[in-house]
Amino acid sequence: MAHRPLHQLADIVRSKNAGPYRITFDVIFTDRARYEHVRDSGAITPESVASAYGLPLSQISSFFHIDQAMAIKVTIIRPRAQGSGGDGDMYGCQHHVPLMKIAVPEDA
Amino acid sequence: MGEAGSITVLTPTGTLGYGFGAEALSRGMTLGPAVIAVDAGSTDPGPSYLGSSKPLVSDYSIRRELRDLISAGHKAGIPVIVGSAGGAGTGAQVDRTTALVRSIAAELGIHLRLAWIYADIPIERAKAAVAKGEVLDFEAGEPLTETILDQTCSLVAQMGHEPICAALEGGADVIIAGRACDDSVIASFPIWRGADPALAIHMGKILECGAFSAEPFAMDVMLGTIGTDHFILEPGSIDRRASVKSVAAHSLYERENPFFQGGPGHAMDLSDCRFEQLNERQVKVTGARISETEDYYIKLEGARLAGYRSICIAGLRCPTLSGAIDGLLAEAKAKAIAYFAPEEVAINFHLYGRNGVMKELETESPSGHELGLVIDVVADRQDLAHAVCHQISGGLLHWHYPGIVNPSGNLAFPYSPSDLDLGPHYEFSAYHLMKVTTPTELFPVHFEDL
Repeated sequence: MAHRPLHQLADIVRSKNAGPYRITFDVIFTDRARYEHVRDSGAITPESVASAYGLPLSQISSFFHIDQAMAIKVTIIRPRAQGSGGDGDMYGCQHHVPLMKIAVPEDA
Repeated sequence: MGEAGSITVLTPTGTLGYGFGAEALSRGMTLGPAVIAVDAGSTDPGPSYLGSSKPLVSDYSIRRELRDLISAGHKAGIPVIVGSAGGAGTGAQVDRTTALVRSIAAELGIHLRLAWIYADIPIERAKAAVAKGEVLDFEAGEPLTETILDQTCSLVAQMGHEPICAALEGGADVIIAGRACDDSVIASFPIWRGADPALAIHMGKILECGAFSAEPFAMDVMLGTIGTDHFILEPGSIDRRASVKSVAAHSLYERENPFFQGGPGHAMDLSDCRFEQLNERQVKVTGARISETEDYYIKLEGARLAGYRSICIAGLRCPTLSGAIDGLLAEAKAKAIAYFAPEEVAINFHLYGRNGVMKELETESPSGHELGLVIDVVADRQDLAHAVCHQISGGLLHWHYPGIVNPSGNLAFPYSPSDLDLGPHYEFSAYHLMKVTTPTELFPVHFEDL
């Protein structure tokens, strides 16, 4: 089956702090069919996101499908608190790439 | 802009000092706002602004933008509200901002009633709450303790809308609030005037980032108008529009749960919200619900001094280094720790081109012909941090490794001095919820007629 990376199907894939101890990811679509395709594909799940970042599933804080906003939202617990020693992304705004590269199967 | 009895809030930008368009402000002011309300801070820039009380944005930028807003507000006879003044909303940052207001009023030759609201929480007050079991962890991952509070050099809490409403009730024309819940800054005026708090707070969540909820997004003017059962969003600039996509997307921004969100004294339920495109540039929002919580909790934000930092920035160009660099860094770190023992130092490397941004979350294979290295040392004294940093940078410069082609130096420094002292290093120490008796008890309001 052919696959495409998530960022070719979604309009926005972004990451951002949600407080100093979380990074939240939003995957936002403008096309309902594409949103539902990705939502129902099984490619974007707490497990697949954890795997893309090499995290244990316990570090996935929450996961939502938001149908009215055509969005998928997933939040991780930061490996280290914002601004503590070794943190390389104060705003958490450059953490989206492993998520946007997750392969989503094309229509079966 | 709306029906009779509706209330329009103009938010000039997402963060005071980050700019807005002059045309967008003047056009926005023609739409008849009842208040100008803007956020000036967040935890987003990190713990340093809370710990040090130094301002996030320069006095130059704050003064320039506040002057335009105070002037516009004065001409229209409407109040100007600033929340989380100075970046973290500490007392020193509030004082710094009120000093700018006094200077602006003098420059403009206008009289106004200034109010300011502190959000500093006395450490002893927080300790008493800990002792009574009235502090809950929010997301810090550990309980707040007396020991942590003793280490905390700066402690604020996010006020709700109530203290700001008290300042409005006192007749304030300009309100400089310390740390405030972002939504509350926007929602306070409509709530004070009798608007539905659910709508006002939901509108605040979207409006607090200015025209980030418009397209194309920018730090720019955004307006929201509350009616009886809805609110309508519209950007100030005619070159932007609010769309269902831009507004709905913004509802998700910087928060974990899109449906349920806690705030001071309340819980918001956004699960039945609807967004409707009214026309090319306006979006109508309905459906927010609110419930008051049994107890009123405020969110504490604390920072502690965690040492002093020195850094060194260097580039690496030789391909023979890319295979050796991990080993070199590990050796240099181990050698420094042994050399300076029993002094305790924290050594981190940010290796750009490898995993500088995401560290252990990076899964990509290295690529590229250059690497960027930041050596980051924190110690309990500045001179010690500097000594360790230079021991590492000087050591790495001349470190031998197998396969070396160029033995005259491994690091390309862009600067002399190679090692830079960044001063105090702060970390967040509190991110907890504390129960209060009333919404205003810890947020005293002060007035001054200028």
